[in-house]
Amino acid sequence: MSALGELRQLKDSKAAKGDGKAAFWFLLPWFLGLFTVTAGPMLASLGLSFTKYNLLQPPSFIGFQNFVRMFSDERLLHSLGVTFTYVLVSVPLQLGLALALAVLLDRGVRGLSFYRSVYYLPSLIGGSVAIAVLWRTVFGVNGLFNQFLAIFGIHGQGWISSPDTAIGTLILLNVWTFGAPMVIFLAGLRQIPVSLYEAASVDGASKGRQFISITLPMLSPIIFFNLVLQLIHSFQSFTQAFVVSGGTGGPADSTLLFSLYLYQRGFRAFDMGYASALAWLLVVIIGAFTALNFWASKYWVFYDD
Amino acid sequence: MNSNKILRRSGIVAAVAAVSALALAGCSGGATPAASTKPTLSGKPTTITMTFWGGDARVQSTQKAIDAFEKKYPNITVKPQFTDWTGYWDQLATATAGGDMPDVVQMDELYLASYGNRGALYDLNNVKIDTSGMAAAARDTGKVNGTQYADPIGVAVYAIVANKDLFDKYGVAMPDDKTWTWDDYAKIADELTQKSGGAIHGTDQIGGFDAGSVKYWARSDGGEVFDAKGKAVLNPKSLAKMWQYELDVQKSGGMLSSSAITESFSAGISGNDIATNKVALGVAYNTQLTALAKSSGQNLVLLQPPAPKNVHPNSYKPSMYWSISAKSKHPAEAAALVDYLLNSEDAAKIILTERGVPANDKTRALIKDALAPTDQAAIAYQESVTPGKAPAVTPNGASTIETILQRYTQQVLAGQQKPLDAAKAFIAELQGEIDAAQ
Amino acid sequence: MTETATLLSVRPELVTQNPVSRRRALQPVRAFVKHVVLILGALIMLYPVLWMVVSSLRPSDKIFGDPTLVLKTFDIKNYVNGWNALTEPYGHYLINSMLVVLGAIIGNLVACSLAAYAFARLNFRGKRWWFGIMLITIMVPIHVIIVPQYILFSQVGWVNTFWPLIVPKLLATDAFFVFLMVQFMRGIPRELDEAARIDGAGHPRIFLQIILPLMVPALGTTTIFTFIWTWNDFFSQLIYLTDPEKYTSSLALRSFVDSQGSTDWGAVFAMSVVSLLPVFLVFLFGQRFLLRGIATTGGK
Repeated sequence: MSALGELRQLKDSKAAKGDGKAAFWFLLPWFLGLFTVTAGPMLASLGLSFTKYNLLQPPSFIGFQNFVRMFSDERLLHSLGVTFTYVLVSVPLQLGLALALAVLLDRGVRGLSFYRSVYYLPSLIGGSVAIAVLWRTVFGVNGLFNQFLAIFGIHGQGWISSPDTAIGTLILLNVWTFGAPMVIFLAGLRQIPVSLYEAASVDGASKGRQFISITLPMLSPIIFFNLVLQLIHSFQSFTQAFVVSGGTGGPADSTLLFSLYLYQRGFRAFDMGYASALAWLLVVIIGAFTALNFWASKYWVFYDD
Repeated sequence: MNSNKILRRSGIVAAVAAVSALALAGCSGGATPAASTKPTLSGKPTTITMTFWGGDARVQSTQKAIDAFEKKYPNITVKPQFTDWTGYWDQLATATAGGDMPDVVQMDELYLASYGNRGALYDLNNVKIDTSGMAAAARDTGKVNGTQYADPIGVAVYAIVANKDLFDKYGVAMPDDKTWTWDDYAKIADELTQKSGGAIHGTDQIGGFDAGSVKYWARSDGGEVFDAKGKAVLNPKSLAKMWQYELDVQKSGGMLSSSAITESFSAGISGNDIATNKVALGVAYNTQLTALAKSSGQNLVLLQPPAPKNVHPNSYKPSMYWSISAKSKHPAEAAALVDYLLNSEDAAKIILTERGVPANDKTRALIKDALAPTDQAAIAYQESVTPGKAPAVTPNGASTIETILQRYTQQVLAGQQKPLDAAKAFIAELQGEIDAAQ
Repeated sequence: MTETATLLSVRPELVTQNPVSRRRALQPVRAFVKHVVLILGALIMLYPVLWMVVSSLRPSDKIFGDPTLVLKTFDIKNYVNGWNALTEPYGHYLINSMLVVLGAIIGNLVACSLAAYAFARLNFRGKRWWFGIMLITIMVPIHVIIVPQYILFSQVGWVNTFWPLIVPKLLATDAFFVFLMVQFMRGIPRELDEAARIDGAGHPRIFLQIILPLMVPALGTTTIFTFIWTWNDFFSQLIYLTDPEKYTSSLALRSFVDSQGSTDWGAVFAMSVVSLLPVFLVFLFGQRFLLRGIATTGGK
């Protein structure tokens, strides 16, 4: 049954109220966290989006001005374009690669844990200071990649410093760190009972058929999870763009991901009111995509409970 | 108790928390208390906090200076905080918003007006700091709207860096920096590229990445970037001239490509193309000579940038300042620390030129002989430069001038915009930021 | 799904054996090709990291000129310099990171699994709304939350302590892991719950004795990811830890980089490698938790 269908049933049935007490206790730490540490600041930031706030002086109420300003903000529009490109290209690539490798590694390879660690390693340094230097060394004008291309006589440009291709290097960086969803896929694959594959082989199903009929459906909750969360994370992507572009979103704003623009307005330009408004715009965008995901999930996600 | 009731109540708690957070955000602002008499040292055991940005070299030297200070004032304990340049401003802004600004704050020219005009900094004329050793022109770089919000630690001057070894290697004559023009510069750069057969390029970028370059070109034409009232009065033609010059020299072969320039700049002082000997010429501040020479390993010398006859576009740029928090609970002790760092012989001998060539003439004379040859060359250069009238401090709201500038530079160099259009757009955007901050 | 339980109870060796070894061994050629592809992929993936390690063993001024992996000198000077470069030996910062990470892991494991159980197994009014709210908390960017949150913690006096970094984890604010665990829990057959309930178990017992043991891969994943993300987290640690004695390794690492002056890149790389080592080791050894397959108690 689909996630949505179930939830709908839950809402209607009388038994829905049954576990209220137990739920309260299980959710208590989360409620505590929500109302003290999370909701307070979140609501405050929502409030701040209706103000002009420079961090150093008290906020002053300006109504909807911040939101009106968004419509004529050219850099915002540009940033949205960059962000959408980044998300819609890198997420499918990243997940596809993660799934492919997880399946490959799950099927009995000698040295599995070694390969798994190796493919995961890039995720570990993805957000570090060293990455900026590394990426420049690989994709710079005199970098490794161009030296590699030179072997074939191709004269490469400065990939990381040219406005047309800089975002490509960031997408590559996001895809390069596919280790995290890969590990989650591996854990998910582990949970698929071997007996199902056994039974299918006995019935004469090919490996490919098994993949489509057993692996994908059984893994679909995990695929769904990875999709929802990688989308959310990619929309919020900050550190890599920050480190690689030196906080500027350059060259020429070509790597100005939404979070980076938000950060620049809030912390560099002392324009925290507007930054808060931008943050909630992001919430709306991400929320829309997530809702879309949930709605679509009823067509392809298979839950066993 | 009914779980729903609890949830509803928790919702109220959350709302209250949110409102109080907003209200408390207002508690951080406030003007310096008007002091009729200057605060005095209490003599009681006090702890003050100080914050600064810098790498590990600065961390070590500052700690030594603090130890020496604490020996002199046994009742004062100093707790230093430090982080890198970018993280520093995030931390400072957040801490100030929360009312936790440290007592002594290292400050930069880009942000001075932003913090000063918003009431976050103490008026240093109200505390006891001896600035007699400093030239008035230097001290004034810390004044915004007539209030002394900061005292400069060091000053720097704009310069051309030339790699003498590369000049000699490719048989190009060193220029006479008293009389040369930008056209001469371009010719030499082209010559270097040619004679090296492309092994090196003549020059790295000469402007568009830091505010100092724009200042220099504006002042070469007799104008300024900002006026005393904080308005952006930059003449777009000056800026366009600078960009067009770079495009021309790139075309004639003397300057690196746009990509290379961008990468060079983001690699910082120790990684740019001057430091890695890929070019023989570039721009820098005289105080950066030591770091550049260390990474380069070759003989780097400072030359005066080309200037029109009888015009003095150069100026003293404060490397960094010390400020005191407006809400400091121990302004007298904080002032004692600042005074010590700026004036004491011991501190001077420890810090040397790590924070720039000292603005204090007395300490500068003191440490001259203890310095490395490159630092001495930097000082010699500074003393050979005749600065023009002191420029206005970057006004409130213009703290992002360099990021905005870099964006337009990259667009122009990539051919996405024409220099004059870009210059006009840049000035408009800059003024927009200044207006929005009022 | 009862098929599974039946099958597993009839052939218990299927449960404990590593499924990897059970599968048909691939023919030698296919295995060889596979290995070649995997190794090539690994090299491409790892080249930047390997270069960083190799560079850390070269003198600082030679680093940028050499993109190869050839080690001409084995110079540990960068490690020595980097270790002693700040006011404390670098190990001090590693320990701080460890403390924060430990707190975060415990917090996440306990609080998130509890919350996940509620969302996955319990029925209660407004479940859909609370789940939605939980997801929204992931969507708000940290940069605008941090200032109000900082003010909040400042009022309580927790600034410059590890508490702002740990307590939120104890309160399941990492909705990512709640969601992760929910998805894993939904893969566990409800029949097992039913069986336990028939035996008289209430929710706490079902949670502890049925669900948690079957959740080991998800718990392992949570541990590993919490470790890595907290270890590498920079921004919150920057804002909340002002006393350098409390600096974690990611803060200390940034202190090496001075864009305005000379940066000792050799030391940066050396200490990056040192910072990476614990994370990598945790991942290497933590994989065991991901290796364990379904261990069901089936029919008692």
